[in-house]
Parts: sequence; structure tokens; C-alpha cells
Amino acid sequence: MREEALLDLDAVKARLAKEEGPRLWRSLEELADLPEIRRYVEAEFPDIVQASSVDRRTLLRLMGASFALGGLAACNGSGAERNAPLLSQSRNMPGYTPGVPVTIATSLPLNGYGRGVLVKAQEGRPIKIEGNPLHPASLGATDVFAQAEILSLYDPDRSETPLQNGSSRTWEELTNFIRPVRNELVVGEGRGLHILVPPTSSPTLLRLMAQARQLFPLAQWHVFSPVDDDNRRAAARAAFGRDLDLVYDLTQADVVVTVGGDLFAEEAGHLRYAADYQARRRMQDRALPRLLAVETRSSLVGARADERIPLRPRDIEAFVQGVAAALGAGPAPAGAQHPSVAKLADDLRRAGSRGLMVAGREQPARVHGLVHAINAQIGAFGTTIRTIEPVRSMVGDTRTLADLAQAIEAGEVSRVLVLGGNPVYAAPADIDLASLIQRVPLSLHLGQHRDETATACHWHVPEAHPLESWGDLRAFDGTVGLRQPATVPLRPGLSAEEFLGLMAGQNLDGRALVQATWREAWGDGFDERWTRSLEDGVIEGSALPAVAAEVRSALVDEPADPTRSAGIDVVFAPDPSVWDGSYANNGWLQELPKPLTKQVWGNAALIGPETASVFGLTSGDAIDLAVEGRVIRAPVWVMPGHAPGSVTLTLGYGRRQAGRIGNGIGFDAYAVRSSRWPWIASGEIRKAGERIPVISTQQHHSLQGRDIVRVVASDKDAVETAMEQPSLYPDWSYEGHAWGMAIDLDACIGCNACVIACQAENNIAVVGPEEVARGREMHWLRVDRYHGGDPANPDTYFQPVPCMHCEKAPCEVVCPVNATVHSAEGLNDMVYNRCIGTRTCSNNCPYKVRRFNFLDYQGTDYTASPDAMNPQVTVRDRGVMEKCTYCVQRIGAARADARIEDRSLRDGEVATACQQACPTQAIVFGDVNDPDSAVSRLKGSPRNYALLGTLNTRPRTTYLARIEPSSENG
Amino acid sequence: MTSEAQAVTRTVAEVPLARRFGVIWWGALLASGALVLLLGYTLVSVTLIGVGVWGINIPFVWGFDLINYAWWIGIANGASLFAAILVLRRHDLRTAVNRFAEGVAFFAVICAGIFPIIHLGRPWLFYWVFPYPATFQVWPQFRSTLTWDFWAISTHAIVTSLLWYVGLIPDLATLRDRARNRTVKRLYGVFALGWRGSVRDWAYHQRAYRLVAILVLPLILIMQSTVAFEFAVTLVPDWHETRQPLHFVATGLAQGLSIVLLVAVLLRWGLRLGSYIDEGDIDLLGRLVLASALVSAYLYVDEIVAALLADGIAQEATFNRLTGDYAGLYWTAIVYSILIPQLLWLKAARRSTVACIFVGFSIGVGIWFDRFSIIVGGLQTDYLPSIWRTYSPTLAETGLFLGTIGLFAALLLLFVRFLPVVSMFETRHDEHEEKSS
Repeated sequence: MREEALLDLDAVKARLAKEEGPRLWRSLEELADLPEIRRYVEAEFPDIVQASSVDRRTLLRLMGASFALGGLAACNGSGAERNAPLLSQSRNMPGYTPGVPVTIATSLPLNGYGRGVLVKAQEGRPIKIEGNPLHPASLGATDVFAQAEILSLYDPDRSETPLQNGSSRTWEELTNFIRPVRNELVVGEGRGLHILVPPTSSPTLLRLMAQARQLFPLAQWHVFSPVDDDNRRAAARAAFGRDLDLVYDLTQADVVVTVGGDLFAEEAGHLRYAADYQARRRMQDRALPRLLAVETRSSLVGARADERIPLRPRDIEAFVQGVAAALGAGPAPAGAQHPSVAKLADDLRRAGSRGLMVAGREQPARVHGLVHAINAQIGAFGTTIRTIEPVRSMVGDTRTLADLAQAIEAGEVSRVLVLGGNPVYAAPADIDLASLIQRVPLSLHLGQHRDETATACHWHVPEAHPLESWGDLRAFDGTVGLRQPATVPLRPGLSAEEFLGLMAGQNLDGRALVQATWREAWGDGFDERWTRSLEDGVIEGSALPAVAAEVRSALVDEPADPTRSAGIDVVFAPDPSVWDGSYANNGWLQELPKPLTKQVWGNAALIGPETASVFGLTSGDAIDLAVEGRVIRAPVWVMPGHAPGSVTLTLGYGRRQAGRIGNGIGFDAYAVRSSRWPWIASGEIRKAGERIPVISTQQHHSLQGRDIVRVVASDKDAVETAMEQPSLYPDWSYEGHAWGMAIDLDACIGCNACVIACQAENNIAVVGPEEVARGREMHWLRVDRYHGGDPANPDTYFQPVPCMHCEKAPCEVVCPVNATVHSAEGLNDMVYNRCIGTRTCSNNCPYKVRRFNFLDYQGTDYTASPDAMNPQVTVRDRGVMEKCTYCVQRIGAARADARIEDRSLRDGEVATACQQACPTQAIVFGDVNDPDSAVSRLKGSPRNYALLGTLNTRPRTTYLARIEPSSENG
Repeated sequence: MTSEAQAVTRTVAEVPLARRFGVIWWGALLASGALVLLLGYTLVSVTLIGVGVWGINIPFVWGFDLINYAWWIGIANGASLFAAILVLRRHDLRTAVNRFAEGVAFFAVICAGIFPIIHLGRPWLFYWVFPYPATFQVWPQFRSTLTWDFWAISTHAIVTSLLWYVGLIPDLATLRDRARNRTVKRLYGVFALGWRGSVRDWAYHQRAYRLVAILVLPLILIMQSTVAFEFAVTLVPDWHETRQPLHFVATGLAQGLSIVLLVAVLLRWGLRLGSYIDEGDIDLLGRLVLASALVSAYLYVDEIVAALLADGIAQEATFNRLTGDYAGLYWTAIVYSILIPQLLWLKAARRSTVACIFVGFSIGVGIWFDRFSIIVGGLQTDYLPSIWRTYSPTLAETGLFLGTIGLFAALLLLFVRFLPVVSMFETRHDEHEEKSS
């Protein structure tokens, strides 16, 4: 076994040595430099090679030859077996047409869980990510992180070569170095070896870890993620006696109570939960469900909730205990009850087994324990809650980051491997991992970037991007999605699987590693099942079965809460844009307005209006926030609805080595996070007397009493609509299709998936913080967020605003050069070539959805790689107006398909990017000329209204009023 | 020709024909030349880098570009309307101020004309608004106010320059006759179009002059209204008002008159033309300025009354202009263009050089703030609160504005030096009539 492993390393060395440069040809120059092409060209066109200057005709011929060869090279290049993308297979498949994108089903990780996606690749370049409808965590929808993964793939800051103490090394040097180290470790059974991994759900990775454990029995394994579920695990162990994951079924729930967290944004199954909740709301035969949110900061679920109860973190436990007591699931807490306790308990009692209570990951284990007890009491287990074996289960004994720090301090560690993640940046402040790692004689980091951890370690090995490598991931419910490369590797790198395989003495072929896992599991009929699973993106029937669980005890043995002291409660939360910081170098995400604050390019300490007035703070004022003696300076943002006496810090900013986009943006909340109290701590704030600009894309948050967002009491209630007024201009007539869109405000949860999907689909530029601060962001689709009512606990409304494609478009008549015109199918087309940039159209657009290229936004440091661009969409020049096109390229593609098949377009065949990404199907697009189309049916709803209908613009994008049973018809 | 008349001609003609220019003139030309350089720099930078060097954004897609455009057009219009009326009414005052009123109008049109082109995202394609036979047979959008504006500004430039030039012809001939240098003689000769001073020449000249002046009258209303239409025709709540053209015409007239007053007083003082632009002339001009300021005041009141009668959103938008982030602009406009001109009720003020300069200047400033208030302040409170933002100009925009002022000043300085600033033939004519009566 050992000998075999050593031999393998030789093979690796040979192969990696060859892999210096990119293996995907990206330019003609690059291609022309290949010796075989040069030989071919010399033989075929001797005059080209000899010609000193290249004329146009010669260049075209050369290009023709190069393209032809390029295809061949991509198919038959040496070593194409490993990581061979399906693309090269599909080229040989009947029906493959060059120029027509190929769709590849795969899975993307977030916090160790998988979300199934379909990657659209154009000539071998992934350009767009959609959700996989077959995948339970997606159902066809995506979140912002999945959408933005395209940009991360092409990130120019991804590391290219191994590094030793900061200097580039060849792969050969790396293998030469590792070989003796590994041999020595094998001999020593792994003594002194500590391996730090992020939590994972990948069966292959877990299998390889188990094998590595056998090979290095004395090695220690540590698991660390800055967004961990420690409290949940502790509560599960206490309540059920063992680790269990909970999977919620919101389609069954009549009453849902969330306690902290964000069910629609931060849970592993958030897309599914949002979709299920909306599906439940759409059930005509059942009364509307009630959603109640008990939370500290405003969250997406709180914004959608029928009732929101803002509470300081320290008051939440007593509240939940009160509910438990009222339901007979525990002793009553001391002190006065919150006025909402009785009503909330009553709601849950009446819902019975159709009730559900969910606690967020930041809540202390005691709250989770109480929630388990309440759910058990009302009988939610089995109906709205399914208990399954933990999805991210580590085999054997695993330890924490704190244990690793202790071991290093004790001098027990001689080798440390960091397989992914960025623990040096994300470690709690009391663990100075950077200096600790330097005390270890040898450290190695596998990661995609030369980040903080890469710098702290002796060696850094480039990690392959998930879209470049093989693997598998389980979703929140345990369903396995296979991860297959959607491109040939853009940069040489190893996946964690391959690295572990290497350590465990397996060969380096990622596909073989994954296949081995499933060959073992499936036995006979592997090939057929493998192919089908690759095509589907999910392994059928792989969801983990429900296991019986009994809540034995609601009491969790946990040290006392730190928030009992005086001072302000400090809550940490993953950031809606950059999560734990791993997306900090992604321009799309940095420039994505956060759902509730609409802040871009940075984070802020979120406080409630009451706290703001106590400390005399307004948004943008700097504070010094001290937690356990550690102080950071941060700007505050006054968030309506944030509980008083508390401050929320989002993680993931203040990166020092994220790359050219993410460096030095925002403040680093990890600097005040402790390993003892990673989620809720107690601190002090003091006004710093300085201002730190907070860039937000929305500066007014009130509806000003205008009927922009309408609310009705029930689905049957009609909204008041404006009378159609006469127009001077003749009506348009539509022979064929007339496209239109309906946006259901009752379904929109404000998650931003549509915004970033639109950006990815339509090559929308990232303009950078200075430009956004000037009010020049380019998003074609924005999500307006309004607050109404008491700022201490306001109603929150989201309204996605794309181009309205008005029937009587005000923009069309004011353009002096006819650059924006009405199409035969009702679209308001923008002719970029014709635009001279007077910007009058924007002036006359009451919805202000037009975006102008004030500068050359496609030639900046923020510009995405040309490879990431959608070739179907023009890249706009400086001085040109642009706006939502209803994804006209998708309409064109669908029409072409229909014509080839000699049929008419079917309803639902054209889906806009925003529609496709939406988890709650709030956006519906289609032909309004067809009375049976989904969009026509929605537009026929009594809730349908036109935004600013009184202006007689007759928009084709209309809205469906939000339903709030408690409020009057509005 | 009497000896007195010859004396007039000599004094006025002396100025352009003198060999040596004064130190002040050189100093002023240097200063304005520096500003012209700044203008060149800002024009080149905006062309090379993009209109993003300005502070504009969404929704404030127009900033200083349109503010200054509207402002210069106002000066041009007021001045040429004034000149045309004087020509048509054969008013005494025309002798004194016509020539430079026409000059002011023409130079202001040149300054204004820069903006519609340079404010484009792709200024090199400005000719696309012209209905030329393009290969793709794409025509301009004739419903667009910007197309109207293109026609209005080009017509305005032609007519204003014609008015100025036609009036100059007899005097150019005089300069030709008096030139001491052959080259200068040739140069003036070319532009004098072979003027012989025959009765037939005079008859044709009078007809042409009055014809062009008549053309000016409707044109002024059209030009200012077209600028106003660029705002009034849009859906922006504060702009979408039928009163907008009237506001632009009236305030533009006040502004043009005030600049004529300012320049008249400056020339009178600078070129020592006291006996040709006499106190009576300045007094009359002062009364006109005051009257036009009162008309403007009436329109400001009208604006508030109209807002009170308007629907909620339009009312909110106008009141936001009066009380919101940009309220300072509005009230500055009121103080400078309405309150300060009330000084001219006093005869002493009308006859005081300093007071006239002050008032002339203040109306110019006031109307500039008014345009700023309309274009920026009026846009702030739009239909959807989510896109309410603010705009503030950058140095590149300020530089562009100062640059056009420099260009205007430089053109005026060159004008007073090389062409007769007071109409010699009109003056001779007047004096002749006085004598014969």
C-alpha cells in the first residue's frame, strides 16, 4: 500500500509538471503558439509563416485554421481524461452545434451543503448558473452566491502556482517537497499531523477522510467554519441524545414561528424553505399560513412575517421559555411575560402538528432545546419537521479550532494541513492563528486564493474551483448532487478530494475518486446510474430517510449567557453579500445592495432607531465597539426594526488579502468575535466622533403615502386601478406575441437572486464603490425596499423594479435619434449603436430604470473577464444608455428553437433570468396576447395593478398586491 | 456730413483702429484667455473620459450641462429680443446699446451651443439629430424636444449672428474707409460686402435689418419655450407644467436685459463712451430691467399658486424645491433676481455705475440659481421615493462653466477692440435728425 502510494506520487509529479499553464485555449495567439499548430500551419500555408506582415485575408484564413484546430485540441488534448468536462463529450454527441450553449448539471457548496445548479457553458466557458429543478435545495432557483460563482471562477486573483513562503514554486518542486514529508508521516502513523478542514457533506470527501485516518491513525482532525452550527449540535445532543439534522416542511405548516436567524437566507435549505412557504401561501383550499418572527435584527423572514417581535438577544430565551410554559412544555420563566407570548403560544397550540418553530443558528443551545420541546409538544415532529442523520457528519473523533490552537501551544503539532477555508482570517479573535501556524514546523494550505491563511502557511497549494473539479455534495435533506467540472481547469489546481486522495494513497483522478465512492455504494448497474445521476445532477432517492427522534430533555447544559451583564448585546451574522468573507473578492456580490439596508461595498454595525437616539448616532457615524477588551471602529447603520440595546455585525469584511476587489472593504467583525461566544456577546459602544461613509443605493425608505406598494386583505380583494386614459398616439397592434411580466409582491422575499441573475445574464458592469456612491450603479433590475409604520418595528415591503416596457413609453418619444423604440412584440428596445447619450429617456422615465454608462465601465479593474460574458448580449460602450430588455436574447433563442421545430412558442418556454432565479416564483413572464398564458392569468388577478398607473404609461410589467389579512384593503 | 458727426465716427472708430490696446484690456484678455484654456481642458477631458467626470447620476442625468445651457440661452434670448425690439421700434436707445446687445446675444449663443453637443454621452455622433439621408434610413425622432431644440438652437444661432452682422455692415465699411493699414482695410472690406453708402444700399440695408429683427421676435419665444419644453414635456412632477415656457421666456428676458445693462455700463466706463451711451440710455435700460424683474416676480408667485392647485405629487415636488435639500438655490434665485433689482426703483441707483453693475450681475446670478433649482431641485422628489438622491457638481463641471464665461468675456473683449461697439451710422443718423429738426 505504501509503495503504491509512492509510485503514484511519481505519476502526479509527471502530470503536474506538464500543467504549468492554462489548458483551455483562450486566445488565437496562444493557440498559434502551440508547436503542433505551427507545424500544421507551416505545412498547409507556408506563405503565412513567411509573411512578415499579416494582411486581413491571411489573418482570416489563419483564424479559420486556428478555430478548426482549436476544436480538435480541446477534444483530443493529452491528459484530457482527468477533469474532462462533459463539453468535450457533448461535442461528439449528435445534435451538438457549435455556438449553442451546453448545460451541465452540477452542485455548488455553501457552508458544506450542496445546492444543485445547471451551468450554461458556451464553447467551454461557463457563463451562467441556473438552479437545478430536480435538486431539492434549489427546485430551479438560485441564491446570490450560486449566481455569483461564475465571477469567482474567472477571478483573476485566483492563485496560479504553489507558493513556498510567498515565492512561486512549480508543481514539481511541490511534489518533490511533499513526497519525503508524506513518507515520513506514513511511517510515523501521522503523529504530530493536524488537519484542519471546513465541515463538509461530501460522501467522497468523508470516505477519503476515513481512509486517511486509517493511514494516519495518530493524526488529529479539526473542523472549523466561521458559520457553524455548534449550538444546534449541542441542543440536538441534549434533546435527542445524538446528532440529528432537522428538515422543515413548510408546505405542511399553518403557523411558522422563527426565532432569530433567517429561514429564507441563512439556512442550508433556505431556497427550498422560501419556495415551500410561498407554495403553502398559494394553496387555495387552505387558509393563509401565519408567519411570525422573533428576532433581533430585521431579516428576510422578518420582513415577510405577518408579525415581527423585535427582541434583544438576552430577552429571547425568556420569551421562548414563556411560550414553552404556555404550551405546557416547560417551567415558566421568572419575571414578567412579553405581551406577545400568550398570543403566539395560542397560535401554535391551535396549529398543533401543523405548527412549526425554528431557531436560528446564532441562538444559544438552550433556546434550541426549548424550541425542540415546543415542537414536540405541539406534535410538529413527523409533520412539519423531519429528523435525519446529520448531513455534514464527520467520521470519528474531530476537534475544534480551539483544540488546534491548544495543541500548537503545547508544541504537539509538527505538521498542519489546512484543506480549504480561510481560518486565519475567520478565526475568532482570541485565537491568533496566524502566529500560531508559524510556530508549526510545516504548514500547508489548500485554497483558491493567496489569502490570509495562504500567507501564514509555509506552503500554499492552489485549489481547483468547484466548477473545475469532481466531487459530490449532500443537500440540506441529504440528497446527493454530483459535482462535475463545467470547464477544463482555467488554472492548475487540486480539489480537496484530490489532495486527500493523494494523502490517502489514491490516484489523483477526481472523477475516479467520486466514482469509487458510488461504485462501492451501488454495486451493480453503476454505469447506467452514474450517467443518469450526472445528467440529472442529483442521485435519485439519496435523501436521508427520516429517523425517529424523541425529545428527551429540553434542558441544555450550557454556561451562562454573557448578555446578562450591562452593556449592549452584540450579535454576529453571516453577511447577505459576502457570507463569511469567502465571497469578498466577488465584484457582483460586493456591489449587490444588501436586502434590508441596500448597502454596497461594505458592512455596518446595525442598530435600532432607539439605540441610535440613545447614543446620538445617525447612519454613517463611527462607533468604537468593545467586546471583551477588543475594540473595532465601525460605521453604524440605523436599521428600522432592529431591537434596541443590541447591535448586529455581519461577518466577512475587512479582508486584508482577498484580492483586488475585496481588500480593505468594510470592517472585520471577526476581530471582536470570541471562540467562547461566537454568536452573541456583550459589548460596549462609544461614539467615535468620526464619519465613515456607508454607501447605499437607496436613501429614502418611506412610501411617502403613495400607493407604490399595494396591500390587500385577501386574494379575492381587488386593488383600485387607474382608469385608462386616452392617448394622443395611436395604439400598437400585435399580430404575434406581446410580452409582459407580472411580479407578485406577495411572493417576493427580497432575496436579490433576480438582481444578480440579471447581472450575470446581461453582462452588467460592476462600477465600484466611488461610482455607486455617486448614484451610478448599473443593475437593470433593482429591488426597492420600503418601510411603513413604526420605525421600531416597521412593515417592510420589497418591490423588484425592472423596465416596465410601457405601452405608451415616455422614453420612446423623447429620444432625438430613435435609439429606444417599440418592438413588434411590445418590448421597449434599446438600440445601443444608435444611442448618442442625451439621457433624456432616463429623465422621462418615471420608474428610473434606465442605466447610463457615464464612464467606460467595461474597461475598469472591476470588469469581469471577457470569458464570463454572455456572448448573446452586447457589451455596452461608454456614453450609451442601457436597461432591462426582458432578456430579449432568450426570447430570440426560444423563437429560433420553435422555428426549427416548425411550431409556435409555448407558454413558459421563455423565462427571463430574474424569473428563473426566483425561489418563490414571484416573477412570471410570458405572452399577454395568449389569454391562457401564466402571465395573462396573473394579470387577470384582482390583485393586479400597474405601478404609477395614473401616468397612463400602461406598463407591461405589472404587480400583484401583497396580501396581509390583518390590514385593510389598500 | 457735419463735423460733429465726423467726430462721433472718429471716437467710436478710433477704438478698433487704434494701434495700442490698454493694459486693462490685455489683463482682461489674459484672464479670460486662461479661462478659455480651462474650457478647452474640460472639453477635452469630458470627450476623452466621458460625462462621468461630472457629478451627474441617475436620476440627475443632467446637471451643469443643462443649467448652463439654459442660462446662456436666456442671456442670448433676452439680449437679442431687446435689440430686435429697438430696431423695429426705431427707439432712440438702439443707437447706444444695439450693437453690443446683438454681440452679447451672439456670443451667448456660442457659449450655449457648446453644451448640447458636449453633454452627449457620445458627442462625436451629435450630427445624428440632423435629418441627413443616412444609409439605414434612420430619421431623427421628430416628437423629441431635443430634436426641436436642435432646430431651435441652430436657427437661433443663424438669426442672431445675422442680426448682429447685418447691423455691422455700414460700420465695417466705415472702418474699411478709415483703416490706415492695407491688410486691415482688405479685411474690413471683405466683411463690408462692397458697401458703397448709396441710397439703394441704405434702403436694402434697412429692409434686411428690420426683416432679421422681425425674425428674432417669434424665434425668441420659440427658443426659450423649446428649452422649457425639454422639462415641461417630461413626466417629472415639478417640470410637467404648462407655465414652464412662460417662466423661461420671462426670466430669460430679465436675465438678457440685465446682462445688456451690465455690459453697457462696463463699456461706457471702460471705453469712455459716456457721451454716446448717455445717462438717459442707462436709466431707460434700468427701468426695463426693473420691469422685467417684476414680471419674473409675478411668475414666481404664479409658480407657488400653480403648485397649490396641482395634485399631490407635483405639489410635493415644488414645495420640496422650496424647502428641501436644494431650497437654498431657490431662495438665492429669489433674492438675486427679484429682490436686489428693486434697487432700480431709485433714480440714483439707475444712474450709478456701481449699482447698475451690481444689479446686472445679480440678476444673472439669480437666474442661474433659478435654472439650477429647476433642473436639479425640481427632479429630486420624483414619483418613486426609492430613487430620490442628490446631485452636486464636480470641478470638471465648474471648470466648464467658468470656461464658457471666459469664452464669452474673451469674445466681448475682442469685439470691443476690433469692431465698433456703438453703431456709428445710427449715431450719425440720430444726430443728423436732431440737427435737421
